[in-house]
Amino acid sequence: MTAATVPLAPVRRWIGRRQSAHRERGATVGNIYFALLFVAVVGGIVHKQLAVVFWPDAPNASRLVAASLVPTLFGLLYLALRRFGPLALSRPAASWLLPAPVSRRRLLLPSLRLAAIVAAVVGALAGIAIIGHAAPRTLGGPAVSLLATGAGLIGVALLLVALAAQAGGRWGDRVDAVVSLLLAAGLAGLIADSASSGSPAAGGWPPASVLLPLVGALALVVGVLFAFAVRGLARTPNERILEAAKTAGTLFDSAFGMEPSFLTDMIERRYWARRHLRSKRFPVRLPVLVTQDLLLVARRRRRLLWLALAAALPVLLADAPGALQGIAVLLGALLAASTSTGGVKTDAGNPTLLRMLSLSSRQAIFQRMWVPGVLAALWSALALGLLATLGDLPAGPWWALGLTLGPVGAVAAVRRARVGFVRNELLPLDTPMGTVSTGPLVNAAIGPDALLLGLPALVEIAQGHPLSWTSVLVQAVVGGVGARAYLAGTTSPDRVELNAAR
Amino acid sequence: MADHPAVEVDDLHVSYGSTPVLTGVALVVPAGAGVCVTGENGIGKSTLLRCVSSLQQPDSGEIRVFGAPPGATPEFWRAVVTTVEPPTWYPGLTVREHAELVCRAHGQDPEEAGIDEALDRFGLTGHADAIPPSLSSGQKQRLTLAIALIRPSSLLILDEPEQRLDPDGRKEVAALLATYVEDGGSLLMASHDETFATASGAHVTTMESLSAVEP
Repeated sequence: MTAATVPLAPVRRWIGRRQSAHRERGATVGNIYFALLFVAVVGGIVHKQLAVVFWPDAPNASRLVAASLVPTLFGLLYLALRRFGPLALSRPAASWLLPAPVSRRRLLLPSLRLAAIVAAVVGALAGIAIIGHAAPRTLGGPAVSLLATGAGLIGVALLLVALAAQAGGRWGDRVDAVVSLLLAAGLAGLIADSASSGSPAAGGWPPASVLLPLVGALALVVGVLFAFAVRGLARTPNERILEAAKTAGTLFDSAFGMEPSFLTDMIERRYWARRHLRSKRFPVRLPVLVTQDLLLVARRRRRLLWLALAAALPVLLADAPGALQGIAVLLGALLAASTSTGGVKTDAGNPTLLRMLSLSSRQAIFQRMWVPGVLAALWSALALGLLATLGDLPAGPWWALGLTLGPVGAVAAVRRARVGFVRNELLPLDTPMGTVSTGPLVNAAIGPDALLLGLPALVEIAQGHPLSWTSVLVQAVVGGVGARAYLAGTTSPDRVELNAAR
Repeated sequence: MADHPAVEVDDLHVSYGSTPVLTGVALVVPAGAGVCVTGENGIGKSTLLRCVSSLQQPDSGEIRVFGAPPGATPEFWRAVVTTVEPPTWYPGLTVREHAELVCRAHGQDPEEAGIDEALDRFGLTGHADAIPPSLSSGQKQRLTLAIALIRPSSLLILDEPEQRLDPDGRKEVAALLATYVEDGGSLLMASHDETFATASGAHVTTMESLSAVEP
């Protein structure tokens, strides 16, 4: 066996030429033009909002917020890098070039380059946002650009850690857990700050003369590590690259077919494929499908923990209009309820197992609404109770109002789980900025639209008046009647399939 | 139910576009008997089974299952089990839990229904804690058959149940199907393996002999 490899560049050039033969002349130029036009138009529309996000008129964040934003933003960057690879190939390249005798390093280098650019840009943007919110405006231009450069370098450093974790063994999972904890701590810091009223941070920022050697040293270290990473690129195991290629491909499918369920389904499949389960006996007393959902929830304890922590997130909107807080609570109820709608999703896509169970669609949906309902009720009670305890809401039994949101969350989550593929045959809308296809928009609205049943609660939260038990009763009745109407309108006692025959 | 044949098909016509697949097909499966339809690929075996299971609407013709038109009602699916369409397994549920779920939904006690024996017979005991998507295609087929046989039913509609099974598995499944028919169940299946069909206690007939006109 010889170690000779085939040069890769001619192969890539050949592929590029063949592909461009199928494209329309000028299509690439047209795409770039439209992308630039899109960025310019959107930038023009939202530049004020962007300024608020990245560079407000005056620094408005306390020391705690600044310190919390660092683990939050960089933690999110790291977890995103981990989830998408970070090293990926296109699916055709994974099928045809990965097993070919080409230089592995050259094959993977473009992917690493792209990931490094993305990580650096995102890191720098995060750095600028933190400086913009926390640093005094007396900080000079050189210091700001040095800090932003440092943040970009940290982004690249995180990419290198993610890269090593992709190639390495189990320690990657442990690092993920630590980063998740840091992220949670950062969010907790943000919540703690919005509960208290910290004053904007003042000075204490190092001048450019101190930053220059620090950033220089960081650049040197990251540069050396990057060189090592490039040298070790060939050692990335095949199966990791294949997995990342599948992720990239599914991401592309989702974006191209405007079908986000491809991505969520893949994430769910991978999650269960990695778990080691032990069969449990079903208790006799509970209806079977309730038992199944309970089992599913019991197996997603980490997600439950995140949900419980996320109940504190509406506190972050303390300064926003009350309606926004209300919408956040309703959406949270939907997300909490969605934890256990995997069964409905399966049955809506393929009724074969439902036929095997021989339950009517009404029985099935009725049983499958219980666990989501309880999750939504507990989550909303926790979220509203916390808001009330911290004084963001006036007096009243807010936790009880939260409990009445259970049926609302259940209907919304089950309705969301029953939605099929995006209907791309729906009439597109012509707007001055281009054509908007309505299919994905309609699809995205199915599910959340049922949160309208929570309108009484939303009005109560938005108004900011003390809450009476009558209002709680009104929400309970609206939610209960709504859930019943949903059940009666979309299921039948003499049909097994969840969707009526077309 | 005993007064009617399990399946009666008369003058069934199905075409895909301009290609006729079933032309004037007639078939009777007496209650408590087994019938196996054989024939080459594309001759319409699966289409016939899909029509009988009400999963496909024929262009014309009459189909009766236990004297009534096949429907999508829970009662129909309590009497009829079909493996014509492969299932999508529930996320986060193990092999054994899938079997237990189906048993419980039919009011059976899993121990009395003999889940563990069934999994053992189908060679799935070692995979009881696995999730079905991690099984091989043959094991998935075994699981589908195990679940189909463990729950109560009056009519089994199986599309090539011997597919992807190894020789021992085929013998085992054939014996189970023969017991099912002996115990009063009715069986309609499509198969390429006449030895398997005969061992299952099914009367073998060809697709050509069911059609009024040569397709």
